[in-house]
Amino acid sequence: MEPVLQEIYDSILNGDAKAMEAKVQAALKAGINPKDILDQGMVAAMADVGQRYENGEFFVPEMLISARAMQAGLAVLKPHLREANVAPSGKVAIGTVKGDLHDIGKNLVGMMLEGAGFEIMDLGTDVDPEKFASVADQVDVIALSALLTTTMPNMKATIEALQRTGKRGKVKVVIGGAPVTEAYAQQIGADGFAPDASRAVAVTRALSGH
Amino acid sequence: MDKRTVMKMALEWKDPPYVPWNINFTIPSEERLRSHFRGQDLEEVVQNHMVNLGYDIYFYHDIGNDCVRDVFGVVWDRSVDKDIGVVKGQVLAQPILKGYNFPDPLAPEVFAEVSDRLERFGDRYRIFGIGFSLYERAWTLRGLQTLLMDFYDNPRFVHELLNGIADYNIAQIRESLKYDIDAVMFGDDWGQQHGLQMGPRLWHEFIYPVLKRMYGEVVQAGRKVFIHSCGDVDELFDDLVGIGLNCFNPFQPEVMDVATLIPRYQGRLAFYGGMSTQRTLPYGTVEDVRQETQKLLELGKSGGYIFSPAHDVPKDVPLENMLAFIDEVQHQPGYLNRS
Repeated sequence: MEPVLQEIYDSILNGDAKAMEAKVQAALKAGINPKDILDQGMVAAMADVGQRYENGEFFVPEMLISARAMQAGLAVLKPHLREANVAPSGKVAIGTVKGDLHDIGKNLVGMMLEGAGFEIMDLGTDVDPEKFASVADQVDVIALSALLTTTMPNMKATIEALQRTGKRGKVKVVIGGAPVTEAYAQQIGADGFAPDASRAVAVTRALSGH
Repeated sequence: MDKRTVMKMALEWKDPPYVPWNINFTIPSEERLRSHFRGQDLEEVVQNHMVNLGYDIYFYHDIGNDCVRDVFGVVWDRSVDKDIGVVKGQVLAQPILKGYNFPDPLAPEVFAEVSDRLERFGDRYRIFGIGFSLYERAWTLRGLQTLLMDFYDNPRFVHELLNGIADYNIAQIRESLKYDIDAVMFGDDWGQQHGLQMGPRLWHEFIYPVLKRMYGEVVQAGRKVFIHSCGDVDELFDDLVGIGLNCFNPFQPEVMDVATLIPRYQGRLAFYGGMSTQRTLPYGTVEDVRQETQKLLELGKSGGYIFSPAHDVPKDVPLENMLAFIDEVQHQPGYLNRS
């Protein structure tokens, strides 16, 4: 790997957001392809972050500062990616379901997906099923989060809203959250279940055909 | 033998005559129970074994639009979640404690109802509770994601903030110990479905030393230390026992092995909770609930266990399931035959 790409990678692992702007600029100035900066410097680093989270080395603070560093670099890189016609890995609408106001899980998944090259539409918390359905035409995947057993039924309600509006076939649905299980995902007809923010990337990649 | 004595026997592994219980309800589930027991006092129906003092009694003030403000200045939006709500705004927008005024730990309202409650529920085990007691208080002031990054960005500020919160708590603890109370319960959620939110290294660096200071006040006064911490936190039990922890709540069976932990910690750490609120209570049959209750009562029959659902009973628990576990605990032979 080019030394400056390794520096970008390390800055993300170390959560060094302040260094990122200069390093991404340096990489661009060195003539490195924006897609290579993204894939080798950032996406690979965030995959490493995810692996360390799954291994129990990183926890939420480390994920947050790494994601912040990644976002700082991405802010510099985005115009260059657009100019180079680099398409995102896919588009994902994410939100916490109706009646649920918990957002950190959703935010972590959003950050990890962004770090994997996806474009994120964050619908926030307490999101109506109809709201999810209304954006189904614009995305490849809808990601639903719930922390409570009392709000999990709105995951099913969201899938039913997609069916009612004739959009179920246009989009994949992945679900996650503390009380959510693989069995529940199958029960309600979701396409995928992610046990944590890191594994959400692999599940979403598989569902979006990337 | 009163309930307080039975609790003490359970907490000392002295073969209590039955497993004591203490069951709390969210607002919607309490309303359903009240409706079923029309006209009856729920305290008389449920027969809880603890009386909670402090915390809720003085803490929140209604500011309209379904919002309340707590004494630390944090605004809670209760438009959706009526029981706790979600933090709105950010009291500490900068990592600077200077200029922030902690509330008065000895405000008259804190202890205003304590004497009356002790008189009304004098036969119960007396617990002075401090909710959102440390890490949670810190993040409600700063924002959860911001505080989690503050561990790296502003470590000195985090130490200062946590110790400031502890100073507030300690002043209140010292005053509470002047009453005839049995324990102090610290509420502070550290866990997730899997593991700690901040991880063990940061927990040990930032939170553990402050806990030692706070628990020490209670230990020195010869009272018991209880904690409530949601999630997968059992990796911390040995460290917590080492600084004075006596009883752990909520003891969620989805994230820790209750059947293994009760005997493993016999003589060292008692447990309060254990009944599944993520699986059995909302989705199980009445028979499932009865069986799980029976298993827990069997595990705790020699002491070291207080029965409870693993959280305030949520609104998706069917009425018949609530009635089932209440019936099971109240039909323990030792309770039916009590003098």
